[in-house]
Amino acid sequence: MMAEKKKATTKKTASKKPDTKKAAPMKQEVKKQAPAPAAKPKAAPAAEKAAAPAKAVSTTQQGDARVGVFICHCGTNIAGSMDIEAVQEASKRIPNVAFVDNYKYMCSMPGQTVIQKAVHDNKLTAVVVAACTPRLHEPTFRTATKDAGLNPFRFEMANIRDQNSWVHMHDRVGSTEKAIDAIKIAVAKAALLQDLHPKSVPVEKAAMVVGAGVAGMQAALDLAAAGIKTYLIEKDMSIGGRMSQLDKTFPTLDCSQCILTPKMVDVGRSENIELMTWSEVHEVEGYIGNFDVTIRKKARGVMTPKEAEAKGIVGGGCNGCGDCDGVCPVIKPNEFEVGMKPRKAIYINHPQVVPLIYTIDFDSCVKCGLCVTACGPEKRAIDLEMKDEFVKVKVDTVILALGYEIFPIEKKEEWGYKRYENVISSLEFERLICASGPTGGHLVRPSDGKTPMKIGFVLCAGSRDNTGTGKPYCSRFCCMYSLKHAHQVIEKIPGCIPYLFYMDIRSFGKMYEEFYYRIQDEGAKFIRGRVANIIEDPKTKNLHVMTDDTLLDRPIDMEVDMVVLAAAIQPSDDTNRTRKLFGVSCSMDGWLLEAHPKLNPCGTTTAGVFLAGVCQGPKDIPDTVASAEGAASAASIPIHMGEVELEPYFAQCIEEKCAGWGMCVNLCPYSALALVEKDGRTVMQVTEAKCKGCGTCGGFCPGGAIWMQHFTTPQICAQIDAFLLGGEQ
Amino acid sequence: MSEESGAKHKFAFYLGCIAPNRYPGCEAASIKAMKKLGVELVPLKGASCCPAPGAFGSIDLNVWYAMAARNLVLAEQMKMDIALLCNGCYKSIWEVNHKLKHNKDLRDGVNEVLKEIDMEFKGTINVYHTAELLYNERFVGVDKVRDSVTNPLTGARIAVHYGCHIVKPHKDREFEKEAMLNTEHPTWMEELVAALGATPVEYRNKMQCCGAGGGVRGYDLVHSLDITNEKLINLKEVKADALTDICPFCQLQFDRGQIEIQEKFGVTYNLPVLHYAELLGLAQGMSPQELGLDLHGISCEPFLQKVL
Repeated sequence: MMAEKKKATTKKTASKKPDTKKAAPMKQEVKKQAPAPAAKPKAAPAAEKAAAPAKAVSTTQQGDARVGVFICHCGTNIAGSMDIEAVQEASKRIPNVAFVDNYKYMCSMPGQTVIQKAVHDNKLTAVVVAACTPRLHEPTFRTATKDAGLNPFRFEMANIRDQNSWVHMHDRVGSTEKAIDAIKIAVAKAALLQDLHPKSVPVEKAAMVVGAGVAGMQAALDLAAAGIKTYLIEKDMSIGGRMSQLDKTFPTLDCSQCILTPKMVDVGRSENIELMTWSEVHEVEGYIGNFDVTIRKKARGVMTPKEAEAKGIVGGGCNGCGDCDGVCPVIKPNEFEVGMKPRKAIYINHPQVVPLIYTIDFDSCVKCGLCVTACGPEKRAIDLEMKDEFVKVKVDTVILALGYEIFPIEKKEEWGYKRYENVISSLEFERLICASGPTGGHLVRPSDGKTPMKIGFVLCAGSRDNTGTGKPYCSRFCCMYSLKHAHQVIEKIPGCIPYLFYMDIRSFGKMYEEFYYRIQDEGAKFIRGRVANIIEDPKTKNLHVMTDDTLLDRPIDMEVDMVVLAAAIQPSDDTNRTRKLFGVSCSMDGWLLEAHPKLNPCGTTTAGVFLAGVCQGPKDIPDTVASAEGAASAASIPIHMGEVELEPYFAQCIEEKCAGWGMCVNLCPYSALALVEKDGRTVMQVTEAKCKGCGTCGGFCPGGAIWMQHFTTPQICAQIDAFLLGGEQ
Repeated sequence: MSEESGAKHKFAFYLGCIAPNRYPGCEAASIKAMKKLGVELVPLKGASCCPAPGAFGSIDLNVWYAMAARNLVLAEQMKMDIALLCNGCYKSIWEVNHKLKHNKDLRDGVNEVLKEIDMEFKGTINVYHTAELLYNERFVGVDKVRDSVTNPLTGARIAVHYGCHIVKPHKDREFEKEAMLNTEHPTWMEELVAALGATPVEYRNKMQCCGAGGGVRGYDLVHSLDITNEKLINLKEVKADALTDICPFCQLQFDRGQIEIQEKFGVTYNLPVLHYAELLGLAQGMSPQELGLDLHGISCEPFLQKVL
């Protein structure tokens, strides 16, 4: 009977029944098996189950339910791919549906008014909106439901856009039928929805920023300025990140150090910032408002004055004098100088470091003790036996500013990086041209120390590369810094000609295009063509850049003294580990995934965790700083609110059914459950603030004693029944 | 490795055109030298041209698929994987085998043609280059090659020409050994050369084409020789005693091409060009006559005097 009815209705909505039916073979099978009487009361079994936990929480009796269904066109996003009229007609026949309407943009003010009016006029008990996705508009429609006078959790969304019209754009019949199914399922749950009340918990008035490059520093400074205690965690020995390695910045050509170092000093000085360098996030527990973060302070081998004082060495600790550096016998390449300058086993990256505290590289330290002697009995800053320490802090919100690293450009074998001495990366160029770099700002060829007079710049080196070796994305700032590099060589070396081999010059920012014209006028040569390969002349160590000039349509063999590869960038090596600790997703290319690429670029799907700077995707300095300020603003909102609302999806124990075995206690990934003595019996108890509503315990409990709010067994069974048995009148 | 150890691996040996017709020494050297390394090469009887990937592929891919498939079916009937000694053959035979295995439409099309001669492509065998067998320790490996040497080519400076089709296109190559997947600057052949006791030498623009492939030689001889000439200039600069290759077509271009370059451009190089199998044969103690080195266009004598 059911089955026949279903067929009859869907025929109206979908004329090509047999085709569309293929999509749900399971449904057909069940229908065949389901004897007519069993199907008669439709969602009746669910109603029975719903009665069971009545004691635990008040339940809406299904018979009283009056559900309103509101179908959104989303312009043509939904309406263009399905028959809205047919969906509306079919929705009217679903049990418990008291009202159906549709509107072009349900999320707009008039759309929300339609919902509110309908709730009042029809005495609705629950609202179903068939529209985009809960990810985008669940909060919107919950608010609308609340404004209509219902409990906001009396709202259920049917996803008929992201999971339907967008994927079945060319199957109008199929998507219409799928939308009807999605609405049936949503209505079945809506009929059983209960009033729920979110818990508010007080928050820690503190934030954490992971990564102290320009993004992390800016975010920390903003939070600190807003009066928020901020822990700034940096894995390197000093702050400043990539920006501190750069010489000048485009398009203004101001010196990177000059604009960055004052900020570094501010960070070091700020009373509200607790700077933890040579440290990394080790473990994360908790949730927005109450993150418990364990930080591993890597053994630095050198004590700060504060640490020394704590150990009773008054007036001791490292003052950055560098006496130790002078005596250390171990020599290693300095990573900050991209290996082009030596450092000792006890070292600082560069003279302007913040904090000015030396660090021992224990991987190469031979523990000869010369530095300890040089440091002297007063400072006593060096401790060769220092061990990693673990520090726990409580914070409300977290900003990840994990930065980037240079793509290993030697993987593009055809350009000979690391094989030919005079092929260098753009970061090496930055250090070579920088006044504080290994050559004091004199640009020289690595092979013979001579000044190059013809320099080839290879743009998109590993970016926009679909060969599988490089990165498919645009790294977004290489065009601009290569223009800047061209300017720098013209300025510093009279007669030197920069040749830029490019695909397109992407100079899209404020004053960027003007900068491009300026560099053209200064005499830089632009050759449009991807570089096929670079060949070294073994005698002169000159390089032949082989490409096509696609504007003149002819092959080019350009002999130059030096080649600079504008290498692609990729997420820094620790990004993946750190993001997992905070439950943040990444996209296919490894960059961290924002909550919404346009409307929530700083947020993530983990409440209370925000993104700043390049870890979300390639950005130049202005964009990085803007994103950091955005993240800081977003991260300070919950702190200023003083408390956060937790979604009331807690597990609840039905104590009469609980056998007190405690298997759920061990299963809970959030340590939210515990066994307690109550009236002489052992029963489980939930700490609601800790429960995430994941349902692990509820799914497992052999006695069915765990009630998952908002995802109750009767609700889920009713949804399954609605899908398998039809649920039409 | 003694001759009596018996063959651990057997392959249907696909000869192609140039090796048996122009450089029979390559064929002889491959069979004899590989036998010492435990690889038996059984003649693939009835095989045709691979057919040449550039010449046929540029005109009608379906003919290319069907002819290569026929050669593959002959080996399928022998229930043996194919071994071959030429990069051009490698492109045709390996790539068509790979494409037909993974593309049902293509396979059905080819089988419709093959039906006329009562054949069917089943996709039951694999295709290997002999150089690959030598480099991959699953079959031989560099260590065994080194162990088989009785007459080390000590003191010889040997440059390597890989040839294009063995390494390119990168996305269509699936060697088991990762080192062989390096398209832009591979060094695995240098390892094989060093295993013979010789000194491999790097030279400018090593990965440049020989000039012959892709139908260039057939279409525009002077242009093709111009490319070859550029490679020879670079080889002369590093004072290589010989050039080694793993492709008889490249070998033809470098060897007989030097005579043509002499005629057309008036430049003489006299650089001996040997297939790696021939070098391996020499290092294993085979005589120049056995290897048919006297059939080369450019005399191998100066090189032989250095290593024998």
